[in-house]
Amino acid sequence: MIQLFNVTKKYGSASPALDNISLKIEKGEFVYLTGPSGAGKTTILKILFGWEHFDEGQVLVQGINVGKLDSENIHTLRRSIGVIFQGYKLLTNKTVFENVAFAQEVTNRDRKTIKFKTWEALKNVGLTSKKDSFPAHLSGGEQQRVAIARAMVNAPPIILADEPTGNLDQEISLEILKLFEELNLNGVTIIFATHSQDILKLGNHRVIVLNRGKVVSS
Amino acid sequence: MSSVFQELLIGFQATIANVRSNIQTFMISVITIAISICILGFFLIIFFNLNAFFSTWNQQAQVIVYLKDDITQSNKKDLENLFKQNSIVQSIEEVTKDRAWKEFRKSQEKKLGLKLDFDFNPLPSSYRISFKLSDNRLLHISKFANITQNEPGVESIEYGENWIARFEKFMVFCRVFLMATGALLSFGLILIVSNTIRLSIYSRQDEIELMLLIGATPRFVKIPFLLEGILQGLSGSLLSLGLMLVVYYYLKSELQASTDYIASGMEFHFIPQPFLFSLVGLSMMIGFVASYVSTCQYMQVLNKK
Repeated sequence: MIQLFNVTKKYGSASPALDNISLKIEKGEFVYLTGPSGAGKTTILKILFGWEHFDEGQVLVQGINVGKLDSENIHTLRRSIGVIFQGYKLLTNKTVFENVAFAQEVTNRDRKTIKFKTWEALKNVGLTSKKDSFPAHLSGGEQQRVAIARAMVNAPPIILADEPTGNLDQEISLEILKLFEELNLNGVTIIFATHSQDILKLGNHRVIVLNRGKVVSS
Repeated sequence: MSSVFQELLIGFQATIANVRSNIQTFMISVITIAISICILGFFLIIFFNLNAFFSTWNQQAQVIVYLKDDITQSNKKDLENLFKQNSIVQSIEEVTKDRAWKEFRKSQEKKLGLKLDFDFNPLPSSYRISFKLSDNRLLHISKFANITQNEPGVESIEYGENWIARFEKFMVFCRVFLMATGALLSFGLILIVSNTIRLSIYSRQDEIELMLLIGATPRFVKIPFLLEGILQGLSGSLLSLGLMLVVYYYLKSELQASTDYIASGMEFHFIPQPFLFSLVGLSMMIGFVASYVSTCQYMQVLNKK
């Protein structure tokens, strides 16, 4: 499903952020991507959904050669991936409902479907009672659940999560992890980037360890 | 509902949200467009009125053939035959010395309040010749004047050829000036509107980035800003048309009396309808081009990441 072949990414003249990395993640797998800050976790995720270019190598996501996509057709790749960003990236001027609906609006779904799917996604993350609240009035855990609802609302086969429990306490982190595991049980491929050893211990999943842009263990 | 229609609808809602959140910048841009279109519009009004004024005078243009005091009856007959044979001549009116003097005295009395009471008549008798409307009318009149000039008994000819030629040149200059002004103002407006749209883009930077991250097409991202540019152009041009109408009716009521005096029968005209639509269209096009330039530049920056 996801394959990286000898991928190298450099930022300026500094040492490469990714150094000749090769990886394979199967369909329906739950994978932890871990390593210290600056190991290259976020860079790999950004490359997978086409937000960063890479300098060498090849990346295949669901058979799509990511390096061959340009600005006019990159959306086809991004629509098959749900992304949960560091810092949530919720729109502060939109309500919880509107934030989740927004992910469907950009894909031109009809109003009725948008309403139904948004409600369903909010139900799955337990946030229907907060649908009219603005992100500023939510706790960190609630904001993260909105971000998860937004990522899953289009039912993508892949979800990339960049430090989704980074700012949350352990109890909430466990709740969030459970949400990802439920999605994985429904066949969604999950790549979960974290540097938290506690989170790694909580789930029994494959762990890819990165350090200074190289895969240390997989 | 077709996807294009839905995209436009969502785009329009986003446009309204953009305008609401940046209402001050939007209004400044609209007012700038309105002022610029007003400048262009006033030039157009002046141009169309000068043109109408010119064609009224052109239609009224006539040749006055002044006769020598000692002209014989047979020379007069020959002249009248020459006029009648000419196909472009519409009418011939003989003005005797007495009638000319009477009319002159009357006009001086009316205009200046002068009572001319000479015991001699200094004015010559004349023919006033008017011409049919035709292509190259001025050229035909000029040829007619040259032929008549050399006829026996003719003192001089008057038909304002130089004045008409100068006015024609002036109208050509006006046309060039209008086009240059229009081009300059359009260019300036494109820069102003594109800057406003750029501000609008920067105020929604997070949203645009998120749209692209979650799979929006570049078209979906651009539509609200393109609509905003078009809306700015439309609002600006409509505002300017309103302003121009107010000024036009004011000037018309103030100046119509003077116009009647200079060229009777000539009315003040507003910009003709096709040109009005063109002004609105031009303004909307400027808004579109300006926002297109801004959004493309921004998307290029994002794509270079």
